Amino acid sequence: MRQIRPSTLERPRSVALVHVAIGLVLLVALEVVLLVDGSVEPTWLILAFPLMGCTYGAAGIEAWRRRPSNRVGPILVLGAWAWLLAGLHNVDNEFLVVVGQFSSTLGVAVVVHLVLAFPSGRLPDVTSRWIVAAAYFTTTVLEVPLWLFDPDSPALISDDPSLERLAEWTQRSIGSVILVAMSVVAFRRLRAATPAARRVLGPVLGYGIFTAVMVPVSANVIQPLTGMDPITLATIQLAVLAVLPFAFVIGLLSGGFARTGELVELGVWLGADVDRPELAVALAGTLGDPSVDVAFWLPDQHRYVDAAGQPFPRTVDQRRGYADIVLAGRHVGVIAYDATLIPDAELVRTAGRVLAIAIDRQRLDAELRASRDALRESRSRIVEASDVERRRIARDLHDGLQGRLILLGIRARRLTDRLPDGDEHTEAEAVRAGLEVAIDELRDLVHGVMPALLIERGLHAATEELVDRMPIPTEFAAAEAIGPLPATVESTAFFVVAEGLANALKHSGAERMAVRLDMIGDDLLIEVSDDGIGGASVANGRGLRGIEDRVDVLGGRLRVDSPPGGGTRMSVEVPCGS
Amino acid sequence: MRVVIGEDEALLREGLSLVLAQGGIDVAAIAGDAVTLVQQVIEHLPDLVITDIRMPPGNADDGLRAALELRAARPDLPIVVLSQHVQRQYALELLEGGSVGIGYLLKQRITDIDDFLGDLKRVLDGGTVLDREVVAVMVERARRTDGAVESLTPRQRDVLALVAEGRSNAAIARQLGIAEKTVVQHTSLVYDHLGLPDSDDDHRRVLAVVRYLAR
Repeated sequence: MRQIRPSTLERPRSVALVHVAIGLVLLVALEVVLLVDGSVEPTWLILAFPLMGCTYGAAGIEAWRRRPSNRVGPILVLGAWAWLLAGLHNVDNEFLVVVGQFSSTLGVAVVVHLVLAFPSGRLPDVTSRWIVAAAYFTTTVLEVPLWLFDPDSPALISDDPSLERLAEWTQRSIGSVILVAMSVVAFRRLRAATPAARRVLGPVLGYGIFTAVMVPVSANVIQPLTGMDPITLATIQLAVLAVLPFAFVIGLLSGGFARTGELVELGVWLGADVDRPELAVALAGTLGDPSVDVAFWLPDQHRYVDAAGQPFPRTVDQRRGYADIVLAGRHVGVIAYDATLIPDAELVRTAGRVLAIAIDRQRLDAELRASRDALRESRSRIVEASDVERRRIARDLHDGLQGRLILLGIRARRLTDRLPDGDEHTEAEAVRAGLEVAIDELRDLVHGVMPALLIERGLHAATEELVDRMPIPTEFAAAEAIGPLPATVESTAFFVVAEGLANALKHSGAERMAVRLDMIGDDLLIEVSDDGIGGASVANGRGLRGIEDRVDVLGGRLRVDSPPGGGTRMSVEVPCGS
Repeated sequence: MRVVIGEDEALLREGLSLVLAQGGIDVAAIAGDAVTLVQQVIEHLPDLVITDIRMPPGNADDGLRAALELRAARPDLPIVVLSQHVQRQYALELLEGGSVGIGYLLKQRITDIDDFLGDLKRVLDGGTVLDREVVAVMVERARRTDGAVESLTPRQRDVLALVAEGRSNAAIARQLGIAEKTVVQHTSLVYDHLGLPDSDDDHRRVLAVVRYLAR
């Protein structure tokens, strides 16, 4: 498959991403300078916030770049901003401290957002949209009372401790409800996912839930209960939070969830002249569902087939979605997808509309393949059956009739020997002589049906024997790599050699011939050549046509190289795999 | 003379028994497959073994392989191998397999009862008997590919073929209706021409000629 060219639409986006990256770097640098300047706490811990900004920013930009239409990247970049803003809490500037305080828990809301929007980066239903909105509300707006009533805050408007407790209690309660709701939604989605999707979703969402719950619980429950050192606690929290963006990006890039909803890449793919069987693969990439498959409708046969022309089963499964593909009012196929991963069937239908013409073209290919496969299979069965039948006939004649004729010959001989010379003796001798001729003819007949040596010793020996009996000098070479071959391949190969030599003898006026057997990978190569007049072709030789037919049944190829006056080289390759 | 027979077809067993009875030959055992044949030969220690090539259990060249196995164990055990078809490779394998007493004939030669019994006797005496058909194919093939054989006179080629069939000089003389002395002249000329060593040992003489023709 050819590499997909980056579309022109992608270029402005790359430029924008560079800007985002530069902005983040400058902000990180600025914050580090501010922090180092006026800090009282251990420097490494306050530097953790710009560091988090870096990890979220780097992971987000990478995800944005690799999956331009997926929104996990932008959400991670938002997370980077959240952490950078939260870091301002520690600088020596009143206004910036307020900003920092205001965004100190915003990072947790971003985690909730990530969990509920994974893998597409979009919130798929109303519930999750409400939960995420509530999370942002709780971590921003509900921060306001906290710093209005905090005695240490520069914006203090009332130092009534009960007001501060009330504000704290409100925020924590709503926060807890949000975290529980998020966990329930995420668990439900996991349960509904296909096993394949669950393998990717499970670890990522699990880690996301753990992080979102661990941060507030450790600060508000574990720390007060155990009296843990605040520095240790903060270190653990920051470590857990720092790993999170990587978990999401790795899950996103490795899980096959890609390019959701956007059809730009698909259009690019269509423009590039790639192999058509890759259609389903491209569609899977575009829809972010690795299980996507395309089936084509064969109206004559009233069934669906896949790209290879094989029957396509349409399973009755709630988790499997099927979107019809319609071209000019005609049903051309169906896109099968994971309904748990892509809840919106319209998205798949849109993709189907974009692809309808390509799918219809591929449908014709598949239709052709299906009928060609059926034809080849039936021919192959006929050839195999006739091969088995020939072997059986040869064996029966050899075992039964020949033995009987020989026994009769012996009796005729004994009778002849006993009879005195005269009419009866002459008569008996005629019977005996006739039997001898019959035995010879039968032997030739059996040999013609299936040479004894082919049955007893296989292709190599039988070919050698055949070459021995040629009336003009004929060379025979066989590679040692030729192992035991399937019976049908042996019979076909022998037929090819016998027909090829007979043709050369009859038409080429050759003085010498040669036969070569070799293996090319899993294919048996049969080469029959002569130094005759050349000019042979499948079109003008009935023998070559017969060889081509026979070889074609086994999925093999015939090549004839026969320049006028330059001899003839006939090469046949027959696949020997099952 | 006691023989063990390897033959799986009932009709041919019957035919062989008829012919051997006519020759006054005792049949010690008849085996219907190659494995039993080897066992029966070991058990009965016959003077001669007669076997078909295509036999169970493999229904391929099992009888031939049994014959080669027996000859490898007892190079002086006379064996006559019968087949529906005669081939150069089989002839060569049988000749290379031992020093004396080998026969390789088309099955239908049994019907020429006297000739067949004579062939058995020759093999029993350590002689070599190759079917005239396989020899004819070998000589014809050699004539096409080998200038030395090509340049022999037709009579010399006849003598060469008869030598390859395992005939003695006396038998060749009888067959061609010429004096034995003339046969000797022919054979030494042919040997000179082909660069073969003349040998008094019949088996060696046949082996050398067949090797030459089969190369």
